[in-house]
Amino acid sequence: MSMIRVEKLSKSFGSLQVLKEVDLTVEKGERIVIIGGSGCGKSVFLRCMDLLETPDEGTVFIGDNELTSPKADLNRIRRKVGMVYQGFHLFSNMNVLDNITLAPIKLLGLPRAEAEKKAETLLEMVGLLSKKYMMPDVLSGGQKQRIAIVRCLAMEPDIMLFDEPTSALDPTMVGEVLATLRLLAKRGMTMVIVTHEMAFAREIATRILYFDEQGIYEEGTPQEIFDAPKKKKTRDFIHKMKYFFWQIDDRNFDLMQLQGNIRSFAGKYGMDEKRTNRLQLCTEELIYEMLEQHGQPDAGVDMQIQISFDERDRCAVIGLRSRGVQYNPFEADTEDEIHLGVTILKNTAKRLDYRFDGVNNYLEIEL
Amino acid sequence: MNIKEILYKTLIAGDSYKTLLKGLGVTVQISLLSVILGTLLGMVICAMRRSRFRVIRTVAAGYIAVIRGSPVLLLLMLMYYVVFAGSKVSATIVAVAAFSIHMSAYTAACFYSAINATDAMQAEAARTLGFSKWQAFILITLPQAAKIAKGTYQSTIVTLIQWTSVVGYVTITDLTRVINNIGSRTMEPLFMILVGLLLYLGMAYICYGAFALAERLAILRKGRRRGA
Repeated sequence: MSMIRVEKLSKSFGSLQVLKEVDLTVEKGERIVIIGGSGCGKSVFLRCMDLLETPDEGTVFIGDNELTSPKADLNRIRRKVGMVYQGFHLFSNMNVLDNITLAPIKLLGLPRAEAEKKAETLLEMVGLLSKKYMMPDVLSGGQKQRIAIVRCLAMEPDIMLFDEPTSALDPTMVGEVLATLRLLAKRGMTMVIVTHEMAFAREIATRILYFDEQGIYEEGTPQEIFDAPKKKKTRDFIHKMKYFFWQIDDRNFDLMQLQGNIRSFAGKYGMDEKRTNRLQLCTEELIYEMLEQHGQPDAGVDMQIQISFDERDRCAVIGLRSRGVQYNPFEADTEDEIHLGVTILKNTAKRLDYRFDGVNNYLEIEL
Repeated sequence: MNIKEILYKTLIAGDSYKTLLKGLGVTVQISLLSVILGTLLGMVICAMRRSRFRVIRTVAAGYIAVIRGSPVLLLLMLMYYVVFAGSKVSATIVAVAAFSIHMSAYTAACFYSAINATDAMQAEAARTLGFSKWQAFILITLPQAAKIAKGTYQSTIVTLIQWTSVVGYVTITDLTRVINNIGSRTMEPLFMILVGLLLYLGMAYICYGAFALAERLAILRKGRRRGA
């Protein structure tokens, strides 16, 4: 028997149709990851599965119970469906332990001692037992999210829904939350996760849904979606390029600031130290090579740097546009020590390209 | 004339203190009833303000705007000389009605903004665990809203107590009226005004004290459970 069955679900906000006749069946033990650009309706779809948004049309079944039926006992059905939000939403008027035990005591009628014991076991599982008497507002985002997960688990749900569980976290805290999700996966929890963490999606999912054009645009195993997406929009999304942009219009530009920004750009996409250094070195050499060729020190500088990074094949390309006289540094005489930079570039880059359109020099190197 | 004589003349002679206590009793009675009824009515208005139906919401918003915008003395006179004119309803009841209405508009506005200031998503999170809308409100929204509303609510009560000093206009002999009477009779108005001020101040601080005590008790109760 399926855990969740969604049939012909449609949802509009005003004149904007977000979802159109979406079907989905989630079997026990499946881990479904929903990916897609912002505003593609993936969160709305997730919220419809717990009827936090009322669908305009269509039906949602949780197990045997039709959630969308007017006669449905929503409160009872929801006990079996855990929901974890991007913004945690712990009850701020209670400490951690009360956050977790509230529902089991009030809804399942568990004796307090038993509920607390269970809560402590769960807290220990996520490594937060020492925080049990703390108030939520003194905890870090990662800790809050782990407690929000435990709060759901205390109700022993059959299925858990995660709405971008790591999107509101500092990069340093994403790991601890993902580790918790992995733990649940290991225990066989049925999960539907909306996330932007692609590497994690690939690792944990049994099935990936790519949302676009008001519904499930393409679905498949992580391998199918990430390695060989069949449809165009999926491909564009998966191979989505990341860009870094910098403008230089002064000979005495702030090199330190540029280098710092390149470093944080590289860090954001998980480039290793060696690659980051190369990226910085090559950018610097390219800039100075072109600056020196302007000849007259008082000539205006108009230069743009663009670094793009393909998250899938992890290839970085530095592009530079420099206004001025035609000059191709890659053809410079490298025997000459003045052009040491060019030698460095030639030795590091996989590909070097040069083009001149009469006004601008265009250089591109691939690392 | 020394202070002893003044004290005797104003507070003891002719059982003045009894009159004074009676006036104080009237003020306390009107204030207490108005606070209770006004708060209850305020809750209803607040619930209406949060209704699903636009008509009910608009009515509640209109009520709050009109009542908060009109001087309570005029409201009182309107009730006494127009609404209840010719009826056998006692002046005190009319006053309680007027001040309850006044209080209800202020408390409704206070509760409404306090509820709005809470994180609605926490109530939704409670619903995803299986709590009903009502349970989520009582367990999550209300305690948080109460904390936010407390300060404003307290000062609304104290302001109300002070505003009851105008009931003399509709023939009620409250604390202010008694102070005034004794002051003129004994030719010691300044002294009596000071006595009156102290008594109103006392009531205000009893009110603040009650809130502080309630808060202390709540913390103790929580602490006891945690210590276990």
